[in-house]
Amino acid sequence: MEPGYYVVLAAVLFTIGAVGVLIRRNAIVLFMCIELMLNAGNLALVTFSRINGTLDGQIMAFFVMVVAAAEVVIGLAIIMSIFRTRRSASVDDANLLKY
Amino acid sequence: MNGFTIATPAQVLAIDVRLPDLDYAAMAPMLVLFGAACLGVLVDAFAPRQSRHTIQFALSFIALTVALLAVIREARVGSRELTADVALAIDGPTLFLQGTLAVLGIVALLLVGERALEKGGPFVSQAAIPVGSEADRRQAREEGATEVFPLTLFALSGMMLFVAANDLLTMFVALEVFSLPLYLLCALARRRRLVSQEAALKYFLLGAFASAFFIFGMALLYGFAGTVSFGGIHDAALLATTSPLLLFTGLAMVAVGLLFKIAAVPFHVWTPDVYQGAPTSVTAFMAACTKVAAFGGLLRVLYVAFDRARWDIEPVIGTIAILTMLVGAILAVTQTDIKRLLAYSSIANAGYLLVGALAFSKEGLSSAMFYLAAYGFTVIAAFAVITLVRDDDGEATHLSRWAGLGREAPLVAGVFTFLMLAFAGIPLTSGFTSKFAVFGAALGVGEAWPVALVIVGVVTSMILAFPYLRVVVMMWLSEPAEQSPTVAIPGAFTSAALMVGVLATLLLGVFPSPVLDLADRAAEFIR
Amino acid sequence: MSLSAYVPILALFALATAFTLFSVGISQIVGPKRYNRAKLEAYECGIEPSPEPVGGGRFPVKFYLTAMLFIIFDIEIIFLYPWAVTFADLGLFGFVEMLLFIGTVFIAYAYVWRRGGLDWD
Repeated sequence: MEPGYYVVLAAVLFTIGAVGVLIRRNAIVLFMCIELMLNAGNLALVTFSRINGTLDGQIMAFFVMVVAAAEVVIGLAIIMSIFRTRRSASVDDANLLKY
Repeated sequence: MNGFTIATPAQVLAIDVRLPDLDYAAMAPMLVLFGAACLGVLVDAFAPRQSRHTIQFALSFIALTVALLAVIREARVGSRELTADVALAIDGPTLFLQGTLAVLGIVALLLVGERALEKGGPFVSQAAIPVGSEADRRQAREEGATEVFPLTLFALSGMMLFVAANDLLTMFVALEVFSLPLYLLCALARRRRLVSQEAALKYFLLGAFASAFFIFGMALLYGFAGTVSFGGIHDAALLATTSPLLLFTGLAMVAVGLLFKIAAVPFHVWTPDVYQGAPTSVTAFMAACTKVAAFGGLLRVLYVAFDRARWDIEPVIGTIAILTMLVGAILAVTQTDIKRLLAYSSIANAGYLLVGALAFSKEGLSSAMFYLAAYGFTVIAAFAVITLVRDDDGEATHLSRWAGLGREAPLVAGVFTFLMLAFAGIPLTSGFTSKFAVFGAALGVGEAWPVALVIVGVVTSMILAFPYLRVVVMMWLSEPAEQSPTVAIPGAFTSAALMVGVLATLLLGVFPSPVLDLADRAAEFIR
Repeated sequence: MSLSAYVPILALFALATAFTLFSVGISQIVGPKRYNRAKLEAYECGIEPSPEPVGGGRFPVKFYLTAMLFIIFDIEIIFLYPWAVTFADLGLFGFVEMLLFIGTVFIAYAYVWRRGGLDWD
């Protein structure tokens, strides 16, 4: 299998995630879209690792995974603390701050 | 899809283990802060409740002082080296910015640790308790969380790592190490907790979105160069055997991640909301230190990794700089909340800093570094004043409440007037010298883009002077509103922070040459 | 690679099968059989699976807390695997570094424990 296709797949996944962040309204779904983007980055990293013939890309994917996990924890904590007060995870309801 | 050669698995698996050389003296500032932050976590776990605040503040203060001394020691030794393989670059800009971060960190820490203005301090006791519940009313009387100190230290250690990072992976890890504590700090306000949590949510979602772009950009650049070290990317861009498509797409996506952190238009939308919603001491910390760290990283990426692509990126980043200055200045005029006003002013200042960065010269680099230091002190002092103007509901940040403040508290209003004049760039303040240095560096290059940027910079500075002066006029010439806010008597910490900020703003305006010389001598990246 | 390399794996399979059959069988034969309500319920960790709440229901927030703690401690393992594979090459340096890493994680653990993150109620 041509590894270049995996780069294309990664780009497609990244785009799906980015579009999802822009059009969805639920904070949890937004968050999952961001995770999709991070994992697209991981896929690209390991693919380039294979193409370049170095292991660096795979190690970098590990770092991205760990950072993503830390991000999940902090993000969920913030979303939960808002949700417990408002009973809603829609980002449209978070509208106290504007002009 | 063609042209890639594929390594066989056997080649991939041939690992050659080489342990990196670590220069512990050069890494000391970051290690000290990180170690102290870990200790702080243990203090919060095991120390008795009533003594935590004292221990934590002392620990953070000592750690930052030691880190500053370690930076100074390293600077006196004059070390210029790559350490930890090539992951960290200890060079002039690193040391200058790390020193700036340590000093600004100490000043911001004074604001974070202040408890004289409000019983229990500006932070909530238990952030997990839902707003408006019975438990929330009970905790209103309790002491604030002391986790803010380890979080601040973690953020500062990440920032110091960020300005030293010499490859994209280290830079990414550092970016997250300083961003994640900041997201949490934003959510910890004692008053107006819903607004504070909303600020944290917005900052977090957009920040994570931007980091995803950074990662994908890093992956593409790794595909282009086969390495993520800045030197390697630079060399690969010189040879350019692979498609430049990967280089430019990767650069654009990495730039999105970095421009988000410096709040450049169109990646600025989080700034006003977060600056307004976060506890004011945290806003001061973010406005000063995040700007230093993020610009340090951006400067290194532009100057070290992509200087060969300079002609291609100049129009793009130049356009962003123009937009940043225009949007920041014009929207600042329409603001009615003092924290939002300063947020838009911070966006405009990011534009002026980009003018210096885009000079792509030694003068550009040194003037941008000087600007960062000068701006940091002024902005911390300005937010320190905001923490003082209060009413029953906490800080009174609406501009109409500030009317007639000059009669009620002439000293505080006088200090704020001075800071506003510094922001507006009046001579004899650091705002003038730093803008002068940045615009001068850009004009010194003598090319079309820098000159255009300077013209926009001067025009927007004049626009931006209007909102600042409006605040000043309001404070001194307007009639006070019926229920005017009281000006709290600053505690020792806030007074010290204010004093340092105002003195630095004045001294860097009147005798800027020692710091300018220092920045000038430091302004050389190693690759 | 000859097939003999897989003999230990086969032996492990055999051992595992034998142990399972033995322990299930012996508890059938010698174990006492006293039933009560709790024992007859479906084995699920966490919330009651039935009756199914309307709209899928909401999980108590404690599950999120536990899940978040799990993610953090679980993900650290991905650094332990590559380290374990190259342990001999990394030597003392790698060992000390890994001790520092685990120590840092342990500090977080101590914080969670002391501040009640591990209490269910």
